[in-house]
Amino acid sequence: MLRIAARRLALAPLTLLLVSFVTFVLLRVTGDPVDIFLDINRTPEQVEALRQRLHLDQPLVVQYLIYVRDLLTGDFGQSLQYGGPAINAVIPTIVPTLQLVGLALLLAVVLGVAAGFVAAVYKDKVPDVVLSSLAVVGQSMPSFWLGILLIQFFSLRLQWLPTSGRGGWENLVLPSLTLAAFLLPNFMLVTRTAILDLMSEQFVQTARAKGLSFTRILLTHIFPNMVNPLLSFLGIQIGTLVGGSIITESIFGWPGIGRLMIGAVANRDVPVVLVTVFIVSVTIIIANLLVDILQSIVDPRVRQ
Amino acid sequence: MSKRTLLLLASVVSFCAVSFANAQTLTVGAAVFPRSLQTGQSSFAALSLVSQTNEALVGRDDAGTLRPGLAERWEQVDDTTTRFYLRQGVKWHDGEDFNADDVVFTIDRIVDPKNAYGLLARIGQVAGATKVDDYTVDIKTKSIFPTLVRGLSDIVMEPAHYYEAKGADEVVKHPIGTGPFVYGNYVPGDRYELTANPDYWGGAPAIEKLVIREIPEAATRVASLIAGETQIIEEVPVDLISEIEASGRAEINEITTSAGLILTFDVRKAPFDNPLVREAFDYAIDKPAIFEAMLQSKGELLDGQLLTKSTLGYNPNLSARPYDPEKAKALLAEAGFDFSTPVPISTQSGKYTSDVDIVNAVTGMLGDIGVRATVNVVEGGVWSQMTAAKDYGPIYMIGWYSLGDADFASVWFTEIGKRSVWINSDYDRLFTEARSTNDEAERVAKYHEMMEIMHRENPAMFLFGLPSIYATGKKIEGFTAASDKLLRLATTKIVQD
Repeated sequence: MLRIAARRLALAPLTLLLVSFVTFVLLRVTGDPVDIFLDINRTPEQVEALRQRLHLDQPLVVQYLIYVRDLLTGDFGQSLQYGGPAINAVIPTIVPTLQLVGLALLLAVVLGVAAGFVAAVYKDKVPDVVLSSLAVVGQSMPSFWLGILLIQFFSLRLQWLPTSGRGGWENLVLPSLTLAAFLLPNFMLVTRTAILDLMSEQFVQTARAKGLSFTRILLTHIFPNMVNPLLSFLGIQIGTLVGGSIITESIFGWPGIGRLMIGAVANRDVPVVLVTVFIVSVTIIIANLLVDILQSIVDPRVRQ
Repeated sequence: MSKRTLLLLASVVSFCAVSFANAQTLTVGAAVFPRSLQTGQSSFAALSLVSQTNEALVGRDDAGTLRPGLAERWEQVDDTTTRFYLRQGVKWHDGEDFNADDVVFTIDRIVDPKNAYGLLARIGQVAGATKVDDYTVDIKTKSIFPTLVRGLSDIVMEPAHYYEAKGADEVVKHPIGTGPFVYGNYVPGDRYELTANPDYWGGAPAIEKLVIREIPEAATRVASLIAGETQIIEEVPVDLISEIEASGRAEINEITTSAGLILTFDVRKAPFDNPLVREAFDYAIDKPAIFEAMLQSKGELLDGQLLTKSTLGYNPNLSARPYDPEKAKALLAEAGFDFSTPVPISTQSGKYTSDVDIVNAVTGMLGDIGVRATVNVVEGGVWSQMTAAKDYGPIYMIGWYSLGDADFASVWFTEIGKRSVWINSDYDRLFTEARSTNDEAERVAKYHEMMEIMHRENPAMFLFGLPSIYATGKKIEGFTAASDKLLRLATTKIVQD
């Protein structure tokens, strides 16, 4: 297990390098910071100064290597928009996004697994039909639209919850629900399928033949075996969740990393974009590592 | 006392507490925040936040009319010197006196290229400032500069003593000014909190606390207003106006900005190097119909020129070409226009009110006369590349702000504006002449002539004067929509039931 973790961690810098290189090149190729930050009345001296500061006078690969060199000394570069170290612009947005993504993930997993259980147990009966149809609706509903819908209902009609912004727990409810709705149907369907698959397995049939109660079979035979597929699915979904949070943060005016990233991309503020991409990539790498470790704890087969 | 009475009492008390708190705090929903409170950033959003705490020598009202600010009056001393008489007894938020040293410090700081002051171009001809006495300052310009006073209405004064004590980096984090509100806390992407300045020279604001929140999504911004979380919101999209009006809790407050929205041709390349083709396109677009449908008649129809009606230099003798598709077809036939030419129209999305909708309508109308027009929505970063390359494709939509004076908008069609591919020597000469005199009547006459040249030559199709649309809660008094999109809240109040 430790070896797996070590191998994964050893590969992480490579992943980060690759991600940052692609981001760097894409942003540089599609927009020139000089055009964005200096207006048309710029003097040639201003242009030259900014070019030198950003090393734009060098070939793209050299620019990237300079960036990596600075990175190794812990310098993420200076933000063009903020006029300070890029990392300083990003730090205040990390906690808000972690709150949002964390709660959304919790909601999606808990509610999704519960619904999946119910749907599997009542397969082809009313609860299954209702839940499965809801899941399809949920999956096909754009989170943009759902977010506005939730605001209309809970904030305007019922006036229970605030429409937007960050404050107390009540500000977190609608954004995390919107984000969770993005994933919840998937968790439900994965749980449902996993349980149904397991039900036809021989060891479950044997347990039944032994005369064990259905609840007992669910708890001791099915549930432990279901954790694994669920965990691998979770690992895949974390990236999706981060992507979804960009939209959710914009709808609800949530001051998170996703909105910062969008603003930085629009302004070709490459250092800030790269810090955000770094943080997101590291989060995904760590989350997946945790999933792997958990899996090997749960399932002895993975360890070998 | 029964449980129910207690509960009732508690809810009454808490209700009173809530409405009391609301009476003190005004919350504004803004569409976009600047990344910092740095002065000199050339965006309305930045200037709007900065102007809550800091003021200019020359003030400006919501309609764009100049009036005394930190200077009570000013006079021309000679062709290149203007003397400003400062308001006395004005104090910075830390209690220090505002005086001529601050003005000299601010002007010198802006003019210094090292500081990369984004709004420098507004007072680009300024050479420097000299102190005459504690409350009198002379501002010198390198040449005759008729737009100095108007330009100065965008330049906020900054405290010399505070910069010396704290340094520029600290000032940005905790700015102080002479304005109606005092800095409290700024969280980029979230909120800006301020308190009223009880000693404000213009009279203490009616509200005690001001919170400006960034709510980027328009539908959410509107919902926050109807729910009562905000009392004023900026940038209401046209398609949500009816929702606000139907709610019964808020109303629309709008004014025309000084921005003329136009469709500019690339006159360098065929077929738009032919004036007949440009004229034909102008006849093919039913501007009043688009104005009604896409802007719900907010703002104004441009009168066949770049300038909005309230701009100095607006030519009242011009009018837009009428909608006449038959004439358009005839002109195209006469010009030998090749109908198989693709005509992509470039626009940004969300930059101007209803921008993509307007271009969609335009392409539809061009399609009606057989032109293969399409919409080309361009992302901001790519747009700035096109700007630098001076190539947006055959037609692109853009809004030019005049900020009340023809000079600021008309410069973009001159050689020295560096943006135009249409260059006309008469137009350029008139522009330079208008810039070289302080005589307003003479300047206006030049601008009239320039607008006539543009109308005749059609380097662009002139569409609309863009609106600035706000919405306010029913309990808000003393707020009007600002043509320059700066929040002016010193006399805004929340009335009690």
